[in-house]
Amino acid sequence: MQSNTIRIIILIIVGAIVGLYLPWYAMGIQAGILAFLLRFPSKSAFTTGFISGFLLWGGSAWWLNYSNPSALPLRMATLLPLQGQVSLLYLITALIGGILLGFWAWAGARLR
Amino acid sequence: MKFFKSIIPLILAILVTIGWDRSWGTIPPFGKLLSPYHGFWINAEMAGSEEMSEEELKIPGLLKPVKIVYDEMAIPHIFAENDHDLFLAQGYVTAKDRLWQMEFQTHFAGGRIAEIVGEKGLASDQFQRRMGSLYGAEQSFEGMKEDPQAKVALEAYSDGINAYISSLSERELPLEYKLLDYKPEPWTPIKSALFLKNMSFVLASGTDDLKMTNILRQYGREVAEDLFPNYPFEESPIIPAGSPVDFKSVPIPAAPKDFMGLGSAMKTPEKDPNIGSNNWAVSGNKTVSGMPILANDPHLTLSLPSIWYQVQLVAPGVNVYGSTMPGTPNVITGFNKNIAWGVTNVGSDVLDWYQVKFKDASKLEYWHDGQWKKTKLRIETFKIKGKKDFVDTVFFTHHGPVVYLSHEKAFRSNIPVGHALRWIAHEKSQELTTFYRLNRAKNYTDYTEALRYFSAPAQNFVFASNEGDIALWVNGKFPLKSKLQGKYLMDGTDAAADWQGFIPQAHNPHVKNPVRGFVSSANQFSTDPSYPYYLGWQYAPSERGRRINERLSAMSKVTVDSLRGLQNDNMNIRARKLLPLLLRSVKSSDKALGILKSWNLHNSPESMGATIFETWVLNLQAFLWDDEFASNEKVPMNRPSIDRTIHMIEHEPQARWWDNVKTKGQKETMDQIISTSFKATLDTLVKQHGNLGAEWAWYKHKQTGVRHLIPGMDALSRLNIPIGGGGSIVNAATTKTGPSWRFIVELSKTGNPKAFGVYPGGQSGNPGSVHYDDLIDTWAKGELRPLLYLDNANQSSSRIRKTITLSK
Repeated sequence: MQSNTIRIIILIIVGAIVGLYLPWYAMGIQAGILAFLLRFPSKSAFTTGFISGFLLWGGSAWWLNYSNPSALPLRMATLLPLQGQVSLLYLITALIGGILLGFWAWAGARLR
Repeated sequence: MKFFKSIIPLILAILVTIGWDRSWGTIPPFGKLLSPYHGFWINAEMAGSEEMSEEELKIPGLLKPVKIVYDEMAIPHIFAENDHDLFLAQGYVTAKDRLWQMEFQTHFAGGRIAEIVGEKGLASDQFQRRMGSLYGAEQSFEGMKEDPQAKVALEAYSDGINAYISSLSERELPLEYKLLDYKPEPWTPIKSALFLKNMSFVLASGTDDLKMTNILRQYGREVAEDLFPNYPFEESPIIPAGSPVDFKSVPIPAAPKDFMGLGSAMKTPEKDPNIGSNNWAVSGNKTVSGMPILANDPHLTLSLPSIWYQVQLVAPGVNVYGSTMPGTPNVITGFNKNIAWGVTNVGSDVLDWYQVKFKDASKLEYWHDGQWKKTKLRIETFKIKGKKDFVDTVFFTHHGPVVYLSHEKAFRSNIPVGHALRWIAHEKSQELTTFYRLNRAKNYTDYTEALRYFSAPAQNFVFASNEGDIALWVNGKFPLKSKLQGKYLMDGTDAAADWQGFIPQAHNPHVKNPVRGFVSSANQFSTDPSYPYYLGWQYAPSERGRRINERLSAMSKVTVDSLRGLQNDNMNIRARKLLPLLLRSVKSSDKALGILKSWNLHNSPESMGATIFETWVLNLQAFLWDDEFASNEKVPMNRPSIDRTIHMIEHEPQARWWDNVKTKGQKETMDQIISTSFKATLDTLVKQHGNLGAEWAWYKHKQTGVRHLIPGMDALSRLNIPIGGGGSIVNAATTKTGPSWRFIVELSKTGNPKAFGVYPGGQSGNPGSVHYDDLIDTWAKGELRPLLYLDNANQSSSRIRKTITLSK
């Protein structure tokens, strides 16, 4: 369990750095590469990746809106359409991050 | 098997990545769009703090450093050391706030929407190009380049936009690019020409020739001329009757032979007719300050981002403030230290149709003036997102493009098939030169000199100067026509039906310092019938113009604030005339009738009387005319105007038109039509809003909204705005159109002009910015903001929030 927490922290930190400089999907691919190199156990790899992506995307989105509040999340939550529920917008953002990193981490772990 | 098992997750990962990296129809690319490091989240802009911020940017191509200060409304004030740098900086800052809009609008104008939205945009694109939008822009671009100053402006403006585009990384793209999943392309000077040409599309493409010919074919010339008269019964023309004439008119061409034409077309949607504008200038002897005051509010489709962008442009020889149109250099309406000017549209007939006789199916030759002449072919290629290119051939006669061949279906119901289009927007022109010179004009002479270069869309240019002059020129390039030429579709084989040159610009209707002490325009008839040339038979309804002239005549001790009151005037003078006439015919104990009878005739936001009256007028027009003029949707016709209806109620209560021809064996009377239309009005309103009550408030019924440029983007729009007014009201806010920029300037002999203005939007095109729509509430309340006019770059002001220095 201890090492899973460490894996999650690694994926989040590397994911954030990659996100700042590379295309969006690189955040997924880095999870795959790390899962491969660091020999993530293939049974828990998806969960590890999912939690990392969920926290990375959801947390970053929350931080952006917290430090820089605007009407944009509400507008997007109306547009997508989520009936203006900003909390749903956070959830979907987090889920997409989670699924992306989850699949890639699983893929990386399985390839070994 | 093991290999296969281990590869499955990889395949899933790749599928998810690819699937979320692209858009599917209208579904955006979710991965890219929602990523907190790439998507919309980072488009949020924090509200500006009260503290001054400073920034320095490197811009290639600048000759000298440029200083830009932003005020609290995020309006840039640009200080440059030469014209080139001024326009480069204007392009840069405009793109910084409005890039997506600039590109989208020029894509629309150039018929390139299918590149963004796919095949569903193609019909609109094809229509734009068949109408010759690209052809017209190319012509006009040639003309603009002939003026070296305009050429510098266009090229530097373009360089400024491109400097901004190339500074953007993909993650910094404006929100709409992320939603629609595409990237900006480099700007080119011809796009500015396209934008200006599109203003002709917006303002000078109205055409009723087809509908008039359909009426002619059905009812004959006498009825057509009786029901569609060539001057309204009630009018207050822009140039007051009896104004001095300072020119000797040139001979008017002989009229072509009467021509019936084939008419007809298929029913398709049409444009919003409620586009108009108000402007006026009051002379110093009517104002408290003794100096002229000028006011303008152009009415256009209300949109987010707004069609206007405010800016102050300062360089040697120029210090001008006003509203610009993103996509073109210079200020379009505004003021400098010495003068102020504004525009409203001229509804003259500058678009005509000629029925074409082709020799054979190849369409390579057409009959004109007793001989076969060769058509010119123009190939238009359309890129379509996700599909192969579509190639279209457009046939041109000497008149212009054959917009639709006789077997094709027109994009709009007022466009005839099998006809060539003659349109002022296809002429070579130099509108930019007009604005360049107006920005720098010091007096009446400079103003008239600037106007000489303007072709289309023709505008009523109102003017005031700190020398005390007020003036108004109905200005543009007007074809020299015989009376009523082009009211109906014309014979393309008859050389006498061709346009025979143009009215000399100096003969355009104009007035300077009239005795009544003010000049004004609201899209009504330019002149009374004594003007020697024929400009058109149909202009905007006269109510706004009549109300403005009535108020300005009565007003004395005029101030900026009293003119602000006039811009927001909600008096319904149509109701003042028509309502008592209608009420004579209605016997009912309905509460709604009581409300109408006690209505103060103002279309104020909460008024229920306005809702009932406006709905009634629509129903009355439908009940009276639709049995004869809207019975066959394949033969579109116009209804006679309200002005004509009022005249009929007053003077022709027995006219044959009152009878509903669809009820066999019955003959309806005027009273019956009026009272049935009233009953239908109440039924409609109860159905829409429930029983008579607060939901019947005029603003709730009217639903004025400022909508995002992408249709259906309600989340990025401001809807249901509490504002009164209406189409025939000075405060011309309708459902989708309205005063798109209100401003008032009081000139000063010694100091700076005092100016106030607002538009329904905000400086930023970014829905994640507070400046996206921060001016809408001020606008809806009928208030104006003081405009900051700085003398030089170093002047301090508590309103300055941000400074940017641009250097190469």
